[in-house]
Amino acid sequence: MTTFLQGVSVQVRPEIPAVFVREWTRLASPGSSWDGRQRVEIAAAARAARHGASEPGASLPAIATSAAEILGSTPGRATRIWAESIVSTVGSAAYVELVGVVARASAVDSFHRSLGAIEPKLPEPRAGEPTGEQDRAASPGPAWVPMVGGASIVQALSAVPSEAEAQEDMHGPLYLTYAQMQDLQFVRGLTRPQMELVAARTSALNECFY
Amino acid sequence: MLRASSEVTNAPLDPRAITDPSVDPLLEGGRILIRFVDAVLGSDDPADARSLLAESMGPAAVVDAAGVVANFEMMNRIAEGTGMPVGKGSLARTEEWRALIGLDRYRHD
Repeated sequence: MTTFLQGVSVQVRPEIPAVFVREWTRLASPGSSWDGRQRVEIAAAARAARHGASEPGASLPAIATSAAEILGSTPGRATRIWAESIVSTVGSAAYVELVGVVARASAVDSFHRSLGAIEPKLPEPRAGEPTGEQDRAASPGPAWVPMVGGASIVQALSAVPSEAEAQEDMHGPLYLTYAQMQDLQFVRGLTRPQMELVAARTSALNECFY
Repeated sequence: MLRASSEVTNAPLDPRAITDPSVDPLLEGGRILIRFVDAVLGSDDPADARSLLAESMGPAAVVDAAGVVANFEMMNRIAEGTGMPVGKGSLARTEEWRALIGLDRYRHD
């Protein structure tokens, strides 16, 4: 059992460690295209790359390890040609799932670093085969992967519904729910402009144009 | 969202601070928040920046700031990994801001 936020001295809203527990369960479990072991190896490769190290996944194709490393450490380096080369090898659903796994694991690690906690031990993989889940309504558009209902950030992972649901599950506890985002006067520990300044600076350092 | 929320709440803001930490963002606590983000995403221990934030804005501000950084660590990777385009309307509305802060350097297209 992984312990989250060990040694943190400030009081953390309970929904945050709760969503981390859910995320680690998801991470360890079979996804749409990758099994539990592969998903954990994707997260491990991304984490290692953020630390300037390499941890190739024994059960992963090399191109998946490489994708996890780049998205984990320097996401601003991603290009359409790069993404298309991965999609042509592993398939769009597998790529979408990989993006989601790396993104959420990076968020968990980032929160721990912010509060001075040791990064949580990655979970033990759960047995089982990939589910093959895909939303057949997803179609190509201006983005690099197919989406349902047009390109928008909340639909970015919609080709694999469980990945889009996991993104939304993390979004609320860490920042704001999709509904709360409409409230520009929202106040909690920070005012809304203060939250958005933090978001904008984070995005600038990650070289994210969106 | 930054521009819209600062306008709605009448909060002063110099957006150049987003890409240039030498600029005072004018927003209350802005310099301390930017220092915190830079420390978390940098390679040094963010303990000092976290302590400063806690002392000046309180522990709930630390948790909120850590949560926002974490969320955008996630969302940036999703946006970059999927090649999420910015709509023409948003591009038109943000043209002046993007020029001011040099954001177009991060465009892929």
